[in-house]
Amino acid sequence: MLTSAVTEWTPTAPVVPPPAEDVDGPLVRSAGAGDAIAFEALYRRHSGRVHGVILRLVGGNAGRAEDLTQEAFVRAWQALPSYRFESAFSTWLHRLAVNTALMELRARRSRPQASDDEDALDSIGTLDSAGHVTALTMDLERAVATLPPRARAVLVLHDVEGWKHEEIAAELGMAVGSSKAQLHRARGLLRTRLGGSHDA
Amino acid sequence: MTHDMHNENDARLPDALRWELRALRKDVAPANDLWPAIAHRLASTPQVKPAPVAAPRSAWRRFAPLATAASLALAIGIAWQLRPVQTPAGVPASNDAHGQLIAKEADAMTLEYQAALKVLGADRSTGVPQTASKELQVLDQSAAQIRTALARDPSARFLLNQLQRTYTRRLELTQRLATRDDSLAS
Repeated sequence: MLTSAVTEWTPTAPVVPPPAEDVDGPLVRSAGAGDAIAFEALYRRHSGRVHGVILRLVGGNAGRAEDLTQEAFVRAWQALPSYRFESAFSTWLHRLAVNTALMELRARRSRPQASDDEDALDSIGTLDSAGHVTALTMDLERAVATLPPRARAVLVLHDVEGWKHEEIAAELGMAVGSSKAQLHRARGLLRTRLGGSHDA
Repeated sequence: MTHDMHNENDARLPDALRWELRALRKDVAPANDLWPAIAHRLASTPQVKPAPVAAPRSAWRRFAPLATAASLALAIGIAWQLRPVQTPAGVPASNDAHGQLIAKEADAMTLEYQAALKVLGADRSTGVPQTASKELQVLDQSAAQIRTALARDPSARFLLNQLQRTYTRRLELTQRLATRDDSLAS
């Protein structure tokens, strides 16, 4: 009986999803050859990650983030035939998404009347005229979103996405020292906006 | 103040804050399905094909400019050969004389064609795509058939014109293959 129970019992292998690259590989090859259906599958798999990083870089502006996500996928479609599988597709796409958002950031910066002017945003969350900190209850995500665009970009890439200063400087077209200075500025502003709840 | 000092002093992040920042790295699905708009844009967005990898420059490709010149010379030669036959006004050329003239033109054209092919290195049999190779074969067979037909009916000028078109087409294709290989090698 016991023997029969043991022999009849067949262990079910744990359901382990295949590695992302195993799934992406064939889709990337097909999409690179012009298959829009395969590209849609890639969009469905990666849109959350792409939109997430873009949303953080544009300070939570949903409309801009969606426009840039769309732009990033169109650029990915164009560039796919040149993708050489030297890095994971998700890494390649993530970098392309960051680049798309930063290009827009640079374009906005060059406009004379940008709505999210760096200096104007510097004042958010600092002491008001009565000497009170205005952002004591501001949560971390909101605090990051209200940082000046370039400082926010450096902080998001360094402290959230884990990039190195060299990579950030190259992507933003600035010196490594400037990237470090922007990070210093961003962290200082962030701590001020969080109202001392995160002091060391 | 140096940048290193920035990192070392007041802007250093407390551990808790550093971890909270890392925790912000999360997927956020767009509120709207962006695919229809993306698909619409893809329809008018061509993919950028990578540049072909350069192949070693083969020796005979160095003659590509010469080949161009040879083709041009042949075209001029053919045009000269096919100029209207001048006969004295009111004196119709006899069928025999007319036939001999056409045969002579066909021979001259074939000689020039063969010389141009030689310059183009058309005897090269490697590296020619299969479809092009088949087309070259068909053109060669056509030229041979026209030559046979001309031998049977030497006064048929339309056959001479047909032979000229076939030779020209054959040379154009050979030239195109030469140019293609040259651009891959550069």
